[in-house]
Amino acid sequence: MRLLVNGRQHTVEHADEPLVWVLRDELGLIGTRYGCGIGACGCCTVLLAGEPVRSCQLTAAEVGDRPVVTLEGLAERGADGTVTLHPVQQAFVENPLQCGWCLPGHVLTAVALLARDPDPDEAAIAEAARPNLCRCGGYNTIKAAVARAAELAREP
Amino acid sequence: MTDAPAGDPPGSGPGRWRVTRRRLLIGAGATFGSLLVGAPLAIEYGRPTLAEWMLERGTGPAEIPESSLVWFELTGAGITLHVPKIEMGQGIHTALAQVAAEELRVRPDQLTVVQADAGRGFPLAAMFTFGSTSVASLYTPIREAAATVHAMLAIEAARQLGVDPASLTAVDARFLVTGTQRQLAYTDVISAHTGPWQEPAEQPALRPAGEFTSIGSSAPRVDIRAKLLGEAVYGYDARVPGMSYGAFAVPPRFGAELLSAAPGDAAGMPGVQQVVIDVPAGFAGVVADTRTRAWAAVAALQLRWSEGTRVGDRELEQQVTAGAGVVLRRDGSIRGALGQGRIVEAEYRTPLAAHAHLEPLAALAAVEPGPAGKVEVWVPTQSPESVTKDLHAAFGEDRAVVVHVTLLGGSFGRKGGQHLGVEAARLSAAAGRPVHVGWTRETDLRQAFYRPPTHTRMRGSVGPDGRIRGVEQRSAAGDIIWAVAGLPEPVRSLIGFDPGGLLGLFLPYDLPAYRLVNRREQLPVPTGPWRGLGLMPNTFALESFLDELAEAAGADPLAFRLAHLSDSSDDGRRLRGVLQTAARMARWDEPLPAGRGRGIACSGDVGTVVAMVAEVDLSGGRLRVTGVDVAVDCGLVVNPAGAKLQAQGSVVMGLSSTLCERLRVHDGQVVSDNFDTYPILEMADTPPIRVAFVGGGQTPHGMGEPVVGPVPAAVANAVRAAGGPRLRSLPLRP
Repeated sequence: MRLLVNGRQHTVEHADEPLVWVLRDELGLIGTRYGCGIGACGCCTVLLAGEPVRSCQLTAAEVGDRPVVTLEGLAERGADGTVTLHPVQQAFVENPLQCGWCLPGHVLTAVALLARDPDPDEAAIAEAARPNLCRCGGYNTIKAAVARAAELAREP
Repeated sequence: MTDAPAGDPPGSGPGRWRVTRRRLLIGAGATFGSLLVGAPLAIEYGRPTLAEWMLERGTGPAEIPESSLVWFELTGAGITLHVPKIEMGQGIHTALAQVAAEELRVRPDQLTVVQADAGRGFPLAAMFTFGSTSVASLYTPIREAAATVHAMLAIEAARQLGVDPASLTAVDARFLVTGTQRQLAYTDVISAHTGPWQEPAEQPALRPAGEFTSIGSSAPRVDIRAKLLGEAVYGYDARVPGMSYGAFAVPPRFGAELLSAAPGDAAGMPGVQQVVIDVPAGFAGVVADTRTRAWAAVAALQLRWSEGTRVGDRELEQQVTAGAGVVLRRDGSIRGALGQGRIVEAEYRTPLAAHAHLEPLAALAAVEPGPAGKVEVWVPTQSPESVTKDLHAAFGEDRAVVVHVTLLGGSFGRKGGQHLGVEAARLSAAAGRPVHVGWTRETDLRQAFYRPPTHTRMRGSVGPDGRIRGVEQRSAAGDIIWAVAGLPEPVRSLIGFDPGGLLGLFLPYDLPAYRLVNRREQLPVPTGPWRGLGLMPNTFALESFLDELAEAAGADPLAFRLAHLSDSSDDGRRLRGVLQTAARMARWDEPLPAGRGRGIACSGDVGTVVAMVAEVDLSGGRLRVTGVDVAVDCGLVVNPAGAKLQAQGSVVMGLSSTLCERLRVHDGQVVSDNFDTYPILEMADTPPIRVAFVGGGQTPHGMGEPVVGPVPAAVANAVRAAGGPRLRSLPLRP
């Protein structure tokens, strides 16, 4: 089947497999992380038609023709090799997490949150991140990063 | 990228090595103009690997005086720092880059930091990353080596410029000639260099702390960009061309052994390429074209296991019971002390708990065909040396074994010995292709080793003057170090206590009488090191009991602690400092409304002392932690932002243990095997955590574990202060 990921069409062999494995193992998009397989940790979060979903909870076939965005699809990559980070990525450069395994899920959750709520308060940030776990315990840093991303997104 | 690819060094390896007066290893690279400098630590066991690597290439002297643990590689493209210690989120690669940058006179972001790789001859033993020691142990060696590298560059730069080296200053990887507009970049110095490098006549002076521009500043993390772009490679991400996916059978109960195995329906299942059975080795596994097909096929193998244990969690926790044991302290007359004053007795328990690092265990292996084929693995491990030993044990001592360390998606002690490299290699050898094995969350939580349960009985007395007369402490815990160290059981029994259980075990207060009896238990489920080892469970008991004594004395818990800390000991003074700072941060003396309360606790570990005040709110009918104020004295702080993350992260992990975690074992197997049944703390329950660093000093101490120590006691003490019950077992359930 065909899968639209980060603006590019890909041919996928194992359409019946959970999306997380198709992205990681077939397409090599390792920025989508496996953490629990039951939709409880948020590590495998991707954007499906702009909405955050747990990619361990649906198959590639169930995605159909809806566009998928993964961590790899956020930065703008110029023809000359320059990489311009998404405001959310830039905010996490300034407010980094530790081991980083949960980071893609938090980044993509924040991208979706800011798309519908450009100025979220702390409770809204925590609600959007439920349940995106972080075992290194960077929750306060994540809140700061999302608030900073909202600021960066508003800057001209 | 912090992940070093496999392969040869730049060019064809160092062309020539010599040993300097200061025991640095210096190799002039075959690549024109490059330079490699290694800094020694006084650890001998890394020598053979490095010597072999150099002799194999005909590059070095036969005698290597010291292991070379930290390497600077200078080429016309820039300076690379090969860090032996492993990054699992602690931020050590960033902190150590700052330390090197300071003496090199470069910005940390002008260094490329990579994980030292055994494939390039770095000694394995030096890589073992544990016990919050990385920055503390490498701080001075890296500075000295970097200062020497800088001096060598300066001598060469002066020669190229035709000036006196004394006329050069350096900033941001460039030399400036004093009083002129002339300057020369380090990369140009290296590129234009010919002939041997000249060493400085004496060890260059290290920069005085007052002139630091890098150490003590919050440098950006060196690995964050790769992690944000999806380019960072963890163990679960390791890939090579032509790779398949493997899975192997794991016992249904702790202690069960494989009796027989047959392919069953697995061989004919879709995508299955190989069924691998080796009953004497206790191994049965499959190789398939996708990961989920490998998982499905391994479940279809026909396996018979011995029964193993049928133990449950309550039974395990009861098995750990404080009583007779090894007397570790006997100060003053405890009988006399407990025969007077007001007697307080209490017992405390902590349960089995998991590390629950978010990246489950994984490994990639590529085994070359034939009985002598090279065994190459990529593993997220804290100890590539133990992985190497395991591979030699499985494949023969003569086999060439190369272990590459990937990034670790969290570890907290669990990835110390990481055996999946062996299973992946068994599958790769049988299938004749590279095989990646990654565990499901369920397997990861069922097949781990765990933080052992603890039980502590405390008995103390307080005199009418409000002072502690004496304390008798009886502690028991499942094994920690003995569970993973290769000592025979008779020796462990003879020693009688587990060294890991000693962390946080001793009351740091001035007591006229103190008796401490400790007991270890070997349990039928695997136990082992968890962040801080005994520190957090022991501190929970001791610092809760201090509050119970203070309550009996009618004293304020802070004042009571301060009154019992010695001013004549360094530890006493430092604990006093952090207690007073944390109390000030939390406005300890300001009253709180009904239903709310503050609790204080402190501990010391790896040279670092910590105090914190937790504030709780019971008014909503449940226990909510509303804020934590932490004061830390960890000596010199290399990277304040990184150290703050470590402190906050330790508080969150401690709160998770305090409020959420208890591993459930039923019928010999873990039944809380995913985050629905083994919940960990979420963002919504994480309070503001304020951190202050106090004390300072000439050198850094550990920051990976110490802050986890006081968390449960601070919260339990706050619950009591808020008018709640005295809670004596984790997780706290008011």
